[in-house]
Amino acid sequence: MSRLFDKKLRPELYSDLSELTFRFIGDLEKCMQCGKCVGNCPAASVTQYNSRRIIHSIKLGNVEDVIKSEELWSCFFCSSCYASCPKDINFPFTVAMLRYASLYAGYGWEYVKKLLPYALDYYRTGMTVLQDERNPNITRRRANNSNTSGSMADVREKMGLSRERKVSDRALSEVQFISDVSGMTRILKELPHKEEKAPLTRAELDRMVTVTGPNGKFAGFPEEDDNA
Amino acid sequence: MPRAEIVKKVPINDSYFLFRSCVSSSKYPGIETSTEEVFARLGIELEDSPEQSCCGGFITFTSLAEVTASLPAVARNLSIIEESGKNALTVCNGCHMFLTEFGHFMDHNPDITNKVNEMLGMIGREYKGTSHVLHMLEAVAGLKNRIKELITRPLKGLRVATHYGCHYLYGFKHDAVDDPYMPTVLEELIEIAGAENVTYPEARTCCGSGLTQVIIHKEEMSLPFLKRKLDSLKKIEADVLIVVCPYCMTILDRGQFKMEERGIEEYGVPVLYINQLLGLAMGIDPVRLGLEAHITPVKRLLEKLEVSNA
Ligand code: SF4
Ligand code: SF4
Repeated sequence: MSRLFDKKLRPELYSDLSELTFRFIGDLEKCMQCGKCVGNCPAASVTQYNSRRIIHSIKLGNVEDVIKSEELWSCFFCSSCYASCPKDINFPFTVAMLRYASLYAGYGWEYVKKLLPYALDYYRTGMTVLQDERNPNITRRRANNSNTSGSMADVREKMGLSRERKVSDRALSEVQFISDVSGMTRILKELPHKEEKAPLTRAELDRMVTVTGPNGKFAGFPEEDDNA
Repeated sequence: MPRAEIVKKVPINDSYFLFRSCVSSSKYPGIETSTEEVFARLGIELEDSPEQSCCGGFITFTSLAEVTASLPAVARNLSIIEESGKNALTVCNGCHMFLTEFGHFMDHNPDITNKVNEMLGMIGREYKGTSHVLHMLEAVAGLKNRIKELITRPLKGLRVATHYGCHYLYGFKHDAVDDPYMPTVLEELIEIAGAENVTYPEARTCCGSGLTQVIIHKEEMSLPFLKRKLDSLKKIEADVLIVVCPYCMTILDRGQFKMEERGIEEYGVPVLYINQLLGLAMGIDPVRLGLEAHITPVKRLLEKLEVSNA
């Protein structure tokens, strides 16, 4: 079973919250294909990535192609497309939500796995970024640069701070509680074992990837399959 | 709304809740201490609380938790801010974005807020939507004139470049205190600090990571993009680069070291948070400003300013 967000796995009370993920998706129907978003896009400037083309694809109904694509994982989430869009389409939010759809369908796990250590740190400590360095050369450089051993604990102490910032025990247990009941803990546990791909059918994909229309309701995708 | 009107609407209070950032506390603690020092001089109190955790947004955008998991996590932090009865001051573009976006989302989706509050209720908390979350750029824009009076050591002759970061100006384009493409808040403050503004062609582009690209596609996308930005910065021979976000700081400060480590290029442009620069211009001790945490050569900058990093 590669569908990670399977409702059956989630505690009953919160299972209906998952549809809210899709309320964040912008209204792609409004896109007029002007391409302004591409002009300032960092991903487009270093690769073939093209936000306008992805939107075009989705509007044509080729959702599955987008969900399977490598491109979906190329967005920086910088929002400069949103800043320049005359139609106010918040494309990075759309990408974030499409990534969930991609994961549901069994793709993209190799990228998400790289982010796992940060999420585990968050679960363990209530903070996503910790002060131990993954690259020891950084500590050495800091030692040269400052008059300390280079360790962050020493730098903090010299600044008059505690050697490490810690969230309270209560805060940590609350963070973990939210993670447990919302299904996040399960994702973190299952993630290292995610290998298999089990592509879903077009109908199943369409059920998962919903676009919120102007009335706030599911607008769906056009039926025609135009590859022009 | 004209930007000047937006600046006027920024709530300038006698005290704020200081919302800490994990990146800042763990990698660049000077971002928070410089903020505390500068605000102490402004006579503005900053309340701290160990109950705050990571803002909770990162896990959403890494796709590691659905909004169902991160929304209550963000709402929990917001409820702690509300408990203080104060508005919050964030030092990070990311924290600001998640706290404001998710707060806004809940305010407009009462059904979701009810569900979130059901979960928060189990830990004795509630999201009400009563506190305003400020970005540092908003605060310093609103306090500009008061900051001016506190400058005791003008940074004469210092060539300063800026990097605003994406998630405030771009992601928050309708309500931001400055124009996404032609921002000037930092430049005005740099002038107030007595330094000289210099600009470079890639000034308004992303740091090279966005939210996670430095992890997902480091070699193929993030570093090539960062290199272009740093190359452009190097050409103008700036003494220092100013940022308003700890994550931008991480990428731009450590990124220079990464390039050096890989034998690609040496840049050596110190990166400072805006309050660290203002702190220097107010004569605050560089050690307290946390400059020793940086990887880029801040010593060179201090020598130029003839301040010692004891
Ligand atoms: S800028 Fe907006 S309207 Fe234009 S192509 Fe991009 S998303 Fe569509
Ligand atoms: S948010 Fe993504 S699509 Fe938009 S400009 Fe940035 S990298 Fe490009």
